[in-house]
Amino acid sequence: MSESEAPVLEVSDIVKTFGGVRALAGVSLSLKPGTVHCLAGENGCGKSTLIKIISGVERPDSGRIVVAGTEHDRMTPSGAMDAGIQVIYQDFSLFGNLTAAENIVLTGEVAAHRALYSRRRARPAAERIVRELGIKLDLEEDVERLSVADKQLTAICRALVHDARILIMDEPTTALTRTEVQRLFAVVRQLTERGVALLFVSHKLDEVLQVAQTVTILRNGSHVLTAPAAELDGASIGRYMTGHDIDESRQVVRLPADASAVLEVRDLTLPGAYRDVSFTLHRGEILGLTGLLGSGRSEIAESLFGVLPARSGTITVDGQDCTIRSIDDAVAAGIGYVPEDRLTQGLFMDASIADNIIASSLDAYRRRPSRLLDRRRIAETITSLFGRLRIKAPNVSSPVRSLSGGNAQRVVLAKWLATKPKVLILNGPTVGVDVGSKSEILQILRQEAADGRGVLIVSDDVPELVAVCHRVLVIRQGQVVQELEGDGVDLETIQRTMAA
Amino acid sequence: MTAQKEQGSLRRVNASVDEVARSLVGRFQTNRGVRRMLVLVVVAFALFAALRPGVYLSTLNLQNIAVAAPEIGVLAIAQMLAMLTGGIDLSIVAVANLTAITISTLYTAAGSRGDALGPVFILIGLVVALVGGLVNGLLVSRVGITPILATLATMQIFNGLAVVWTGGRTLYGAPRVLTGVGNATVGGIPVLFIALLLVAAGIGILINRTALGHKIQLQGANPTAAAYSGISSRRTLLGTYVMTGLLGGIAGMLFIARNPTASADYGASYTLLVIVIAVLGGTNPNGGFATVTGVVLAALTLQIVSSGFNAMRWSPYQYAVAQGLILIVVMVSDQVHLRRRRRGTPPALPVGPATPPTPV
Amino acid sequence: MSARLMALRGSNNEGVLAAVLVVLIVAMSLVSPSFFTVGTLFAVIRSSIVPVIFALAVLIVIISGGIDVSFAAIAIFAAYTTVKLSGAGGSTASLVVLTLLALGIGAVLGLVNGGLIARFRLPTLIVTLGTQSVFKGALLAYIGSRYIAALPPSMDRAGKHDLVTAHSGGSPVSVSLMVLVPVLLTVFVWWLLRNTMFGRGVYAIGGDTEAARRAGFRVIRSQLLVYVLVGMLAAAGGVVYVILGRNANPQDLVGSELDIIAAVVLGGASIFGGRGSVGGTLLGVLLVQLINNSLLLVGVPTAWQRAAVGLLLVIGVGVQAAAAKRSRKRVFAHEDLEVAR
Repeated sequence: MSESEAPVLEVSDIVKTFGGVRALAGVSLSLKPGTVHCLAGENGCGKSTLIKIISGVERPDSGRIVVAGTEHDRMTPSGAMDAGIQVIYQDFSLFGNLTAAENIVLTGEVAAHRALYSRRRARPAAERIVRELGIKLDLEEDVERLSVADKQLTAICRALVHDARILIMDEPTTALTRTEVQRLFAVVRQLTERGVALLFVSHKLDEVLQVAQTVTILRNGSHVLTAPAAELDGASIGRYMTGHDIDESRQVVRLPADASAVLEVRDLTLPGAYRDVSFTLHRGEILGLTGLLGSGRSEIAESLFGVLPARSGTITVDGQDCTIRSIDDAVAAGIGYVPEDRLTQGLFMDASIADNIIASSLDAYRRRPSRLLDRRRIAETITSLFGRLRIKAPNVSSPVRSLSGGNAQRVVLAKWLATKPKVLILNGPTVGVDVGSKSEILQILRQEAADGRGVLIVSDDVPELVAVCHRVLVIRQGQVVQELEGDGVDLETIQRTMAA
Repeated sequence: MTAQKEQGSLRRVNASVDEVARSLVGRFQTNRGVRRMLVLVVVAFALFAALRPGVYLSTLNLQNIAVAAPEIGVLAIAQMLAMLTGGIDLSIVAVANLTAITISTLYTAAGSRGDALGPVFILIGLVVALVGGLVNGLLVSRVGITPILATLATMQIFNGLAVVWTGGRTLYGAPRVLTGVGNATVGGIPVLFIALLLVAAGIGILINRTALGHKIQLQGANPTAAAYSGISSRRTLLGTYVMTGLLGGIAGMLFIARNPTASADYGASYTLLVIVIAVLGGTNPNGGFATVTGVVLAALTLQIVSSGFNAMRWSPYQYAVAQGLILIVVMVSDQVHLRRRRRGTPPALPVGPATPPTPV
Repeated sequence: MSARLMALRGSNNEGVLAAVLVVLIVAMSLVSPSFFTVGTLFAVIRSSIVPVIFALAVLIVIISGGIDVSFAAIAIFAAYTTVKLSGAGGSTASLVVLTLLALGIGAVLGLVNGGLIARFRLPTLIVTLGTQSVFKGALLAYIGSRYIAALPPSMDRAGKHDLVTAHSGGSPVSVSLMVLVPVLLTVFVWWLLRNTMFGRGVYAIGGDTEAARRAGFRVIRSQLLVYVLVGMLAAAGGVVYVILGRNANPQDLVGSELDIIAAVVLGGASIFGGRGSVGGTLLGVLLVQLINNSLLLVGVPTAWQRAAVGLLLVIGVGVQAAAAKRSRKRVFAHEDLEVAR
């Protein structure tokens, strides 16, 4: 790969507005063949909009897109594909009901405007690409039966069979395990050797920095910086992404020595996900559970909430043995859970804030003997939580859809606080939340713990864990490998243990 | 955050206290479906009254509307409940017929004691409906069959049983309790119509003021989030379909109260009609939103149109065309309205490509 | 499950369905000596001719992720209108012209469905419920509500030819030449779904509409085409129905939609779209017809047929739903192993 080569893609001064809100304010980007370019920024900075514009899904208000020297003033999805641009979205856009081979070949056949489809022609084409990349893939299996990593490989093959010159990958490492990420990077190196230009869109940088040569950072729709990856590190990128040094200093109040246990987990095992997990969470304590993706951290949380019941082991809440086979069991035991996928699992987007807040505690407001809801008490609960969590919205009857990420997360939190849970589990509590909101949410968690709840945070955002947790458990390959306490909770130790 | 802003948001919080009550009780007052239905009721009525004032405005015709609307109104309310959870119940008409057939059969079998035992027979008829609803509920919530298929199958089964039972004939005879109610009026208003209003009020309270009602709405709005909120879809769905079955049974009582006959294929066109009414009344067929008021008004509108067609001596076939056209026009206009509104607002939460919610 | 067993089972449980059919045939042969005869075979084939055509139409819509309950209304609309327009018994039009006319009418009505569904993205069940009412109402109100006993001579003649005749139990039994229509259409739809980009697009759209759009499939156009095709297939079914019945009754057919949909779903097509096969659909139709015929033979009154089909549907989809639940768990266990590695 030579530095002097002409860029294969150049976008300049892209402006895009949605209903008066400026999503992109003059963003430029240039991609060279055979290199990996990382597009970074927080959620909502305009990354997604930019790739949609490059791939022709959205049209920019102004700006230029030049692919291999040809200017495209009206990019369409098929035009982008013809120009050699392929996007691999986070959900891969694959057809689960079709085989891997078909998924790989079909897009190309569409673009070639074919009328007939031939299995006999399709199979060798798919095989060729799989062979060239040196990967293993069961081409005759329906895609919905493949693992996430294999789905991604299918998507990559699909892009290549169509002779992609520019491959855009949206958060490619999110759902992969560590070994799978390494396998992906091996494929990426293959691709760059073939002269493909890659654009990685990500908000998780440590992994991406391994393979990227150049990094472009966006913030609030504006271009902040483009620099060689070698000149950047995690901290400086974080600063550019957020616009200020992140204040995540450790603020932890000492627990009283006699704090009683509110959640005790003994020898919890779910074959294939985690095994022999034991820990105790005390009243007033914030406990962090961390590990890489696929380490089993999320599964442990989902087992405690009954989404994914454990095979064996015991769970004790507040001194009472609990059998948690379903979400109902967990809620009845006094456990609340703020899921990572807030939009589909946490919120009713078209319902009002008020309806969302009382969704989990409806049964508590039944009056006797009429069994009708006690509207006064509901109003009190909603008003008090609305104020206590400082949800910024015109009023409680606004639909949740109109809220920002941080405020939406507060609504999910409010929903669980309304149940007065003994144990509150949060999976990725600040994912997709802007920085200002983030520190406020962490402050709310400190407050709730201080009020006597046990708080369990599952996260791979290590600075956040350091900022709020009394103790942190590190999970690796389904087992608790280290417990850090007090001053031992420190960024580098955790990161080292996670990845070891 | 500045002190001023802080105060502003405090004031907003205070203002919202009043909003809470309003949002919980009476969303229907400002609802588009209800407003539209009010307009349509008036327009339809005025149109036919103007075309055929002599026939149309007669007491007899008005009473006919008020007597015919309740059975389809109750069925439509049942359909609305099923749709509120994002499902559908194709079997309600068959359930209603089973109830009517049960009551009529028992009445005839009891001979001279039929009238005395009337209330017992009605109760048995309702139990039959309840069992029908329970079967639907179990198939949907336990076995996990999609509502449209589950109720399609049970519709065939219930209807088939009714055909076998009656041998395809029409049964005559109904307890005097029911026929009496069917003919009675209070202050000129038929008791049947009052029955519809009572059912509507009951379901309105169920939806807006009980825990189950809220759960039904949330289940329809986002089943995944409902599961993650500790709302048991099993119990919610079971409750919903038992309720639709029961409402079907009540409709069956109304059938037989209005006209003391029962047969397996009474109301063959009702399955479509009640879906039309539910959608026309502002029910979102994908779940999560519906209002009882809108549905009652929609039932009235269609009955007004139907009797208007009668008064004009237009054929029932033309009424079928009108019915279908009304449904399509309303859905298209809703969709256009929705798109226009969506286009005006920016995406609130910039996220990756939308992934469809996966059922848990 | 081993790979070979899996292959036997078929991707849409066709194998299971075939096994059920065989078991049913064996059981019925044991119960009733008059069952295993050419007469029964021909009866099942005769009664399947029209349902197979409709089922193919329904299969295509269901794979595309929709549902169409208006096809029976389209079928009778197209067939009756054709007969009426051509001047019924006094017509001199050839069968080809009449068929083309019917197919044209079917295509136009299908286009109405497709336009509403694709252009406005409306729920397909509700749209087609509405158009069903409109089509049937318009037919009866504006075209004719009277039974026509005399078909155009060309149609009448077509119904008189037999493909095969045999003797069963002393009496001659036969299968009409019309059986070739569903056979040809079956081959056509099988080829269309398997070997054309349109067919693969129907699967893709039914699997994930958004992904299909991103992949460059012209979703709106494909959907339009699906409903036009359904309209034409329905019209073909209607014409065959009229020819076989030797009369045209505008009150016919509507009301039988659900039996067809039940057969297609039993045949393994997923109501959520993306899955379904021509083979499975054929088996589904045959199963329903066989059961109806069997009930007659063992002396169950015809009144029970409706309930029997309903019960069959509950069992069929119930088993599928239960299997889906189990496989969802299995998928998870599989992913777990990946995680642990």
